[in-house]
Amino acid sequence: MYQYDEYDQRIVEERAKQFEGQVERRFAGEITENEFKPLRLQNGLYMQLHAYMLRVAIPYGTLSSQQLRKLAHIARVYDKGYGHLTTRQNMQYNWPKLDDVPKILAELATVQMHAIQTSGNCVRNVTSDHFAGVARDELEDPRPWAELIRQWSTFHPEFAALPRKFKIAVSSTPDVDRAAVRFHDIGVRLVQNAAGVRGFEVLVGGGMGRTPLIAPVIAPFVAREDLLSYLEAVLRVYNLHGRRDNIYKARIKILVNALGVEAFAAQVDEEWAQIKDGPLKLSAQEIARVAKDFAPPAYQKLPAADALLSALKLGKDRELGRFVQNNTTLHKQPGYVAVTVSVKEKDTPPGDLTDHQMERVADLAERFGFGELRVTHTQNLVLPDVKVNDLPALHAELKSLGLATANANKLTDIIACPGLDYCALANARSIPVGMEIMQRFEDVDYQNDLGDISLKISGCINACGHHHVGNIGILGIDKQGEEYYQLMLGGSPGHDASIGETLGRAFPRGEIVDAVDTVLKRYLELRSSADDAFIDVVRRLGLTPFKEVLYPAPQQLQEAAHANH
Amino acid sequence: MPETQPLKWVVTANFTSEGGVAYLRADKSVTRVLAEAGRFATKADAEALRKLALGMEAILADPYLIEVAELPDGIDALSARERIRAAGPTIRVRRPDPRIHTH
Repeated sequence: MYQYDEYDQRIVEERAKQFEGQVERRFAGEITENEFKPLRLQNGLYMQLHAYMLRVAIPYGTLSSQQLRKLAHIARVYDKGYGHLTTRQNMQYNWPKLDDVPKILAELATVQMHAIQTSGNCVRNVTSDHFAGVARDELEDPRPWAELIRQWSTFHPEFAALPRKFKIAVSSTPDVDRAAVRFHDIGVRLVQNAAGVRGFEVLVGGGMGRTPLIAPVIAPFVAREDLLSYLEAVLRVYNLHGRRDNIYKARIKILVNALGVEAFAAQVDEEWAQIKDGPLKLSAQEIARVAKDFAPPAYQKLPAADALLSALKLGKDRELGRFVQNNTTLHKQPGYVAVTVSVKEKDTPPGDLTDHQMERVADLAERFGFGELRVTHTQNLVLPDVKVNDLPALHAELKSLGLATANANKLTDIIACPGLDYCALANARSIPVGMEIMQRFEDVDYQNDLGDISLKISGCINACGHHHVGNIGILGIDKQGEEYYQLMLGGSPGHDASIGETLGRAFPRGEIVDAVDTVLKRYLELRSSADDAFIDVVRRLGLTPFKEVLYPAPQQLQEAAHANH
Repeated sequence: MPETQPLKWVVTANFTSEGGVAYLRADKSVTRVLAEAGRFATKADAEALRKLALGMEAILADPYLIEVAELPDGIDALSARERIRAAGPTIRVRRPDPRIHTH
């Protein structure tokens, strides 16, 4: 993974020291809260309902075991013993004290981490495919490109005060999308043209929130050496023309939509023409400088283990079999798999890890890999380089930690935002709804029968829980001081991107999980075979068959009551 | 269901030191307990206390007003947000730690 040079290191150390002085001045009354707020936000520090919240950046979700141990240490010493994985592949702490935050930042700097640009109207943490570098279906590791974007966008003097926050994702898989690039301000897809030359398809103007939009392609092919200058041109057009008068219309998606794709692309091209051959041109040497830190580790030469993998899936140990079936992903290197460590155990908030779990998983990353981990935007961890032979031992270790739930990509692999239990913006709780769903549908055999289904919950329209792109989406709303939940179907964040549609009136808290149950039962009635996926059924048949059972007409209710007598 | 009293106003904020929930008592002192908060029949009276709280920035951040109902046995915030804010997260804040459950 990328290693800081002396300048990187000095910047994060000086930033921690600088924030220490700002905190001292805040306590001394030398700066007001209004003056302090932008300073703390630039260091990832929010004020939430019950406490401050500190968001730590994990660039493109790649983490070393040493860094994870540091995150565990911070959780134990400065917080309440746990951290929370976010949908931008970051980690949040929900209870830091203000005068501890400079110390936390100084601790993070010792392991090449920080909280810079995890908040505010700037380019946020660049995200990527959590299987980047090991996925069998990728063109090449996209992380060197994500790192180049990170370096370009960090402390970029022009883009420190954009109209609104700005999110970039990078992927390099032709046929799937695990980074939700179509729902980012900029999605960068590594592609290969007919001549075999690799470059980037650039999508601009996707997003969720109160105006969910799928990003259109602005440039079908940008040469590799021109990536940063093209992105700079996009940001310049946005910075100049993005709306600053209305926070709800300030994201780049609104600008692209207002101008139209062609007009927006033309403006970008015009800007790009002026800077394309300037200092942002990436030399082969510069690309190689960053790429060398992402060189594959020293894999053993192992025979292909597909047969062993199949045997484990079908073996007598059904718990292990289900885990291997659901939580392993094919690897580039023969004899290896990537393992999804599910942070979706029932009875616990999705994405929460204790200090002890973090430390033990860091140990496992070294014992069963090369000391590297990934954070997924679905709030799980990944051990990217596990030998197939080691799966039984790894499974036993994860089980002892409560991290072996065999539910990756299944119903209970829920994304849930912090919701009204923590978040100052939320209208309703998300985590208790998610936990109730995890408890109700914990039977993995039932989940396997349902097949791959994504369920995503947000506690407000800002959509941090990605409800718009859940096959099943749940949105919490406030109705006269009470929590209600809208149910929507048909969303997908991937290659087949779609935005879910609301089924009808919202359900009170006590009815929403029953409503999900009703939807699932209806799906099982409607599907043509076990291979007929939930999302395909919704797309084929629409919402009507689900509405019929969720909102029966009065006559149907009367008939049902009559039948019960 | 107990009969509710007329709507009243309370001044709340977060403690600067750790972000915890704070309420202003009628005597201008600060408490962490909603039931101890000063309740004002008019928004103007509450607003006067909020302005005073703005001057306590070393202790308090971002004071604002909330609506409450007085019950015979206490006080009830009228929004889900403020009820949860007053009582704390509705989920266990620390994940069960396997160390606690092993021998």
